[in-house]
Amino acid sequence: MGRIQFLLRCMFRHGLRTNLTMLSLVTAFMLFIMLRSVAVVFETGFDAGPQTRMQTASKYSMVDMLPLAHMNVIRSIEGVTDVTHASWFGGFFEEGETNVATFAVDPETYFDVYSDFEIDPNALEEFKSIRTAALAPQGMIERYGWEIGQKISVVSTIYPAPSEEGWVFDLVGSFESTNESDGFDPFLFHHDVLRETFAAGAVGWYTFLIDDPERADVVAQVVDRRFKNSSDETRTMTESDSWKSFLAQYGDISLMMTGILGAVFFTMILLTANTMVQGYRERVPELAVMKTLGFSNLSVSMYILVEALLLCGISAALGVGLGTLVSMGAQDFMPPMIPIYFDPITIIWGLILGLALGLFVGLVPAVNANRLEIVEALHAH
Amino acid sequence: MAFVSLRRVSKSYTKGREPVPVLSEVDLDIEQNDFVALMGPSGSGKTTMLNLIGGLDHPTGGEVVVGGDSLNDLSGRALARWRARNIGFIFQFYNLLPVLNAQRNVQLPLLLTKLNGKQRKQNAMTALDIVGLSDRTNWKISELSGGQQQRVAIARAIVADPSILVCDEPTGDLDRDTAEEILGLLETLNQNHGKTIIMVTHDPKAAEHAKRTVFLDKGSLSEQGQETA
Repeated sequence: MGRIQFLLRCMFRHGLRTNLTMLSLVTAFMLFIMLRSVAVVFETGFDAGPQTRMQTASKYSMVDMLPLAHMNVIRSIEGVTDVTHASWFGGFFEEGETNVATFAVDPETYFDVYSDFEIDPNALEEFKSIRTAALAPQGMIERYGWEIGQKISVVSTIYPAPSEEGWVFDLVGSFESTNESDGFDPFLFHHDVLRETFAAGAVGWYTFLIDDPERADVVAQVVDRRFKNSSDETRTMTESDSWKSFLAQYGDISLMMTGILGAVFFTMILLTANTMVQGYRERVPELAVMKTLGFSNLSVSMYILVEALLLCGISAALGVGLGTLVSMGAQDFMPPMIPIYFDPITIIWGLILGLALGLFVGLVPAVNANRLEIVEALHAH
Repeated sequence: MAFVSLRRVSKSYTKGREPVPVLSEVDLDIEQNDFVALMGPSGSGKTTMLNLIGGLDHPTGGEVVVGGDSLNDLSGRALARWRARNIGFIFQFYNLLPVLNAQRNVQLPLLLTKLNGKQRKQNAMTALDIVGLSDRTNWKISELSGGQQQRVAIARAIVADPSILVCDEPTGDLDRDTAEEILGLLETLNQNHGKTIIMVTHDPKAAEHAKRTVFLDKGSLSEQGQETA
C-alpha cells in the first residue's frame, strides 16, 4: 500500500456517499460546459470570419428587406472590394421537423465574399448554372445522409411552397468552412428562385469585403449615410458584430446561464463542504492515531486537502469530458444560427474551477486536522 | 542515565480558567528492556504519564528523556519523527483504521519510511507472523475478533522496530483468556525481541506479567511495596 492507495481508500471509505457526491459534481461540471459552450456565443459572438467582412441590413428590423439596387451603391463605395447578398428563408427539412439555416444567395458573388468556404470548382459552376441548384455544408450532408444529385425538399415558415413537395432543390455539391470556430452552417440556393415568385428586387442583407479592417467603422458610416433618409435605411457593422446583435434578440442568455451556474455551484459548494466536514469529523480519532504513529501535522492536513482536491478534480475532469461529448451531440438539436462553440478556455476554466472548489471545501477540514491535538482527540474517542 | 528518565515532571491541564494538576514533580527511571506496569486509580495520571513518555504531550515542568533524547527540546514535527522511529503505541480500543485490512493497517507506520512497497508488505507480513496472524493478513478489521484486532495493533506497533512499546490498558477491552494471550505476546516481545514495555493497567493480574509495577496516585509515584510519596 502506497500513499496514493491509502488516500483513495480513505476517500472511498463511504463509497455510496463519495460516489453520490462525485455524481453531483460531475453533473454540475457537465452543466457548466454545456451552458458555457452556448453562453460564450452570446457573450462574444462566434468568429464569423475576417474583420474585413461586413454586413448591411435594414436599420429597423432584420425582417425588413432591402432593395436589390443597394448592391451597386455599396459596391461603388471606396474600400469595398466584393459584395453579395443573402435572404433568410426559414427552412425546414424532414417534413417540417428540422429547422435549418437556409439562405437564398447570389450564386455569382457569394463565394467571392465567402472565400474561406472551400468548394469544388465544378460544383460551384453547376451551382451558378442550374437555377434549382443547392449547396450544403459537408457536415449537413453527412448528418442527413444525403447524396450529391439528390433532390432536397424544403418548406419555409416565410414563403409558401409552390407545390405539395415543398421547395425542391437539386443538391449539386458541398462546401466546408475553413474557419474552425465558425458555427455558420447554411443550406444555400439561388436567390432567383425567390425573386421570381415573392421577393422581387429585395434581399435580406448584404455582405461585403473591405480592403482595410482598420477602416471598418468609417466604411460602415459611409454606407449607412448613403441610405440615410431613404425608405430603406441601413445599419452596417462587421459580420461578427452583426451575429452578436442577432443573438442578443434571444435576451440576456449569458446572464441567465451565469445565474443558473452560480446557483448550481453554490449548492455544490455546500454539498461537498458538508461531505468533507462530515468525513473529517468521522475520522478525527483516525487522524489522531496517524499523528500518534508519527505523521506530522502538515502531512495529515495534506492528506485531507489532497483528498478534497482529488474528489473535485476527478469529478471536474469527468464532468468536463462528458459535458463536451453531450454538447457535441446536442449541436444537432440547437436552433439554427445558435452554434455551440467549444472554447478551450471554457474547458480549462472547468478544470480550474474543480481544483478551486476542492481547495475551498478542503481547506477548513485540513486546517482543523493540522490543529488537532492528539491527546484531546484520543481522549474524546 | 536510565533509558527512560522523568525528572521532576509536572503536568497540569486547564479546565475553564483553573489549572488542574495531574502530575506533580514526578521522578521515574526505566531501564532498557524493562517491562513496567503502571497502576493507579482512575484520574491518577497514568495515561498522562504514558503520553509524556510517548511524546504525545509536553510536560508543564521538569524533563522527559527517552533513549538519550530530551523530548522537551523537540518541536512538534521533530517529535512526530521521533515517535515514528522510537515508539510503538498499543491502545485499549485498538484504534485500527476500518478502511484498511489487517496487513495494510500494519503497513501504515511504514509509509513514513523509505521502504518500497514490496519491503513494506514483507515487513508487515513478518510483524503479523510474530503476533500469530499470518493467516488473517487480508481480513477486514470488522471481520476480526477483539483479541485478533489487538494483535494487529501490536503488529502495527512493532513493524517499524521501535525500542519502546507504550501500552494503554491493552487488555482492558478483552476477556480474561484473550487478555492472557495478549500479555503473553507482550512478554515475548519484551524477552525475545528486547522491547522496553510500559503498560498502563487497572488489572493486577495483567501487572503480574510485568517485571516491575509502579503505582501512581494523586500525581505521585511509588514502587510496588513502597508507600506513596
